Amino acid sequence: MTQISAEPQPAIRLEGVCKSYGQTHAVDQLDLVVPRGSLCGFLGPNGAGKSTTIRMIMSIIYPDRGSLQVLGGTALSRKDRIGYLPEERGLYRKMKVVEFLQYIGKLKGCPRNTLRPCIDQWLQRIQLQEVAQKKCEELSKGMQQKIQFLAAVLHDPELIILDEPFSGLDPVNAALLNTIIKDLHAEGRTIIFSTHVLEQAEQLCDRIFLINKGHKLLDASMEHIQQQFDPRMIHLELLDPDSRPQVLESISCTTDVMDAQAIDAAGIEFRIDDRCDPFVLMRELVNQHDLRSIELKKFSLSEVFVQLVAPGSGINLPTRENVDAS
Amino acid sequence: MPRDRRPKILVVAWREFKYTALTKAFFIGAILAPMLMLALITIMPALLNTELKPLSGAIGVIDPSGKIVPELRQELDSEQKQKTESALPDLSTFDPVARGMTGAGDQAQTIDLEIRSSRDADQLQLFKGEVRDGTLVAAVLVDPGALAESSNDDDGFKLFIPGDSAPRHTLFIEQAVKQAIIRARVSSSGDDYKAMKQLLRSPDSSVLRLSDAGGQSTESIAARMFIPLGFMMLLWISTFTSGNYLLTSTIEEKSNRVMEVLLSAVSPMQLMTGKILGQGLVCLIMTLMYGGMGLAGLLALAMFDLVPVLHLVYMAIYLVMAYFMIGTIMAAVGSAVSDLRDAQSLITPAMILLMIPLFLWFPISENPNGILATTTSYIPPLIPFVMILRVTASAEPVATWQVISSMIAGGFWVLVMLWMCGRIFRVGVLMQGKPPSPLELLKWIRYS
Repeated sequence: MTQISAEPQPAIRLEGVCKSYGQTHAVDQLDLVVPRGSLCGFLGPNGAGKSTTIRMIMSIIYPDRGSLQVLGGTALSRKDRIGYLPEERGLYRKMKVVEFLQYIGKLKGCPRNTLRPCIDQWLQRIQLQEVAQKKCEELSKGMQQKIQFLAAVLHDPELIILDEPFSGLDPVNAALLNTIIKDLHAEGRTIIFSTHVLEQAEQLCDRIFLINKGHKLLDASMEHIQQQFDPRMIHLELLDPDSRPQVLESISCTTDVMDAQAIDAAGIEFRIDDRCDPFVLMRELVNQHDLRSIELKKFSLSEVFVQLVAPGSGINLPTRENVDAS
Repeated sequence: MPRDRRPKILVVAWREFKYTALTKAFFIGAILAPMLMLALITIMPALLNTELKPLSGAIGVIDPSGKIVPELRQELDSEQKQKTESALPDLSTFDPVARGMTGAGDQAQTIDLEIRSSRDADQLQLFKGEVRDGTLVAAVLVDPGALAESSNDDDGFKLFIPGDSAPRHTLFIEQAVKQAIIRARVSSSGDDYKAMKQLLRSPDSSVLRLSDAGGQSTESIAARMFIPLGFMMLLWISTFTSGNYLLTSTIEEKSNRVMEVLLSAVSPMQLMTGKILGQGLVCLIMTLMYGGMGLAGLLALAMFDLVPVLHLVYMAIYLVMAYFMIGTIMAAVGSAVSDLRDAQSLITPAMILLMIPLFLWFPISENPNGILATTTSYIPPLIPFVMILRVTASAEPVATWQVISSMIAGGFWVLVMLWMCGRIFRVGVLMQGKPPSPLELLKWIRYS
């Protein structure tokens, strides 16, 4: 595989992109910059406009307004440098696997003399070398999924767009695909990865882009999001539930602690101020009280998603801004 | 990675052609079956002739008047001289090529019949017994009133044949006895049968069509009616068959959900054009095959002069026009629906429109320069079908300005239909679920 050199231009740049179907605004004034070499999670609820945006990036459909650049040029002229695994994917049922891949490879401009060795190499990599001469309809759903993934990356693309790449895969194959995606990213390729399984996005992506109803809600690096949405909440569980009133009172009186409350049978939960070092505080609490457990609550992309997409749903995760305001 | 810069349209076209035409189903359904049918039609007469048994043996004839048997003997003698069954239709009379193809001339049947006669009607039972046991080939009972000048309907003859008698043998004997009775009647009236037969022969005719320009040309019913029909049917069958392949392959790509994968590599217009070109090649092969068979048939019947080269040139032009018109309709419908059943509701209005040329065949062949023919020559998608009828039917050529203007109109409509199809295709290929109404299809054209 070729090593992709980093270039200053972003892989994708959308400016004020709009797309409507009749009265429905699928995408509205969308700005987006995907840096080269990033592994970007493209998230959003159903009907948010993700597929429309991806289809515009792929020049399958065209925006009504706004400008769109892919790999420094027009989307149409860069098709051969983009790998795309759509959500609506399929194979020619009566075609042999190798013929299908050859067809897609030729359409993507793969050199004919190296196409077959490249296919064999990839089939080996995804552990499906034995199905080359089988008809696509003879494959299991998981095998078909892997062949479809292969069709998206066969032509050595610089930009790879994967829409729900893990759906239909068992854990072993999901892990294999996970590894391949990481390898492709490590080679310097830009990968956009759309999924509803937010744990996967959290684990894989270095950047998150969240849209809802055609509008951008979040566009930041994972590091920045983790900082922005750090819950700064500590949860502890007492060895002696009867001691909880005293411990709760003691904690409430501690500087930098807010909203301390009793939860469950022997638990206490509270938020801490920005200025407070959670690890110092936790060490102090361990020394002062008999605790069964104490933990600093982890960042969860799912909760960020719910909070941004459905703010009225009851889940209200504190942000740094909230904390500062309070 | 260096990229292969070969046109993607050709890659799509070749896949489309390969997975339609280079398949067992196509070979059996579209090539082998028609070829077998043609071969069967061609060799059937020869097979029939080779299978015929010689007609030999004796016929028992009960002739109360005694005047018919001599005439029958004379009739049989003349037939036996010819050694052919002149009473039967014979393909070999068409021309030497046909004779060669069927082998009918070489396989002429041997006829060697004797007559055992009696005036006594009581002999009938004996004759019947001999017919049953195979001693006689047939027995004939001539009614006494058969020679009367004004006979009743019942007066004629009865022919008794064995259970395994070949129909052509029966027909031959029946015709021979009829001719013998007519000969006897003529002789009884004192006239000369041969002279009378000559007088009653049907005169030959030739029809000459006079043109306004002062010329004249030989009128041929076959040329005016059936050659145009043949051309139009060839156009219709080829374009509809390949159009149907285009429809089903597009629906297959949608239902298999492979469409979006393809669109990630090519634009909808490239995909559509590639598919139309690929199926166009299928159409061309079918036209060459069926057209070639038709021309071979005309050659065999020595009627090749009915198809001038100019007609073939017109055929090529109108084939391209017709295919693109049908192809764009089929591609647009195929892109808009997700299964074949849904396609029916959209394709039916188009089919009704496209059936019109079939109904117009007769009036246009009758009057290739009439108002109906001229008007429909400018209405898409009827243009190529109507024009091929007109240019091949007319003994008086269609005015050149009409041919040229209809071609320009056809070319213009092809471009318009391609553009409209492209708009529908681009929206349709990504649509799933409920099929659109024809009105919605028109709305899709407005989408950018």
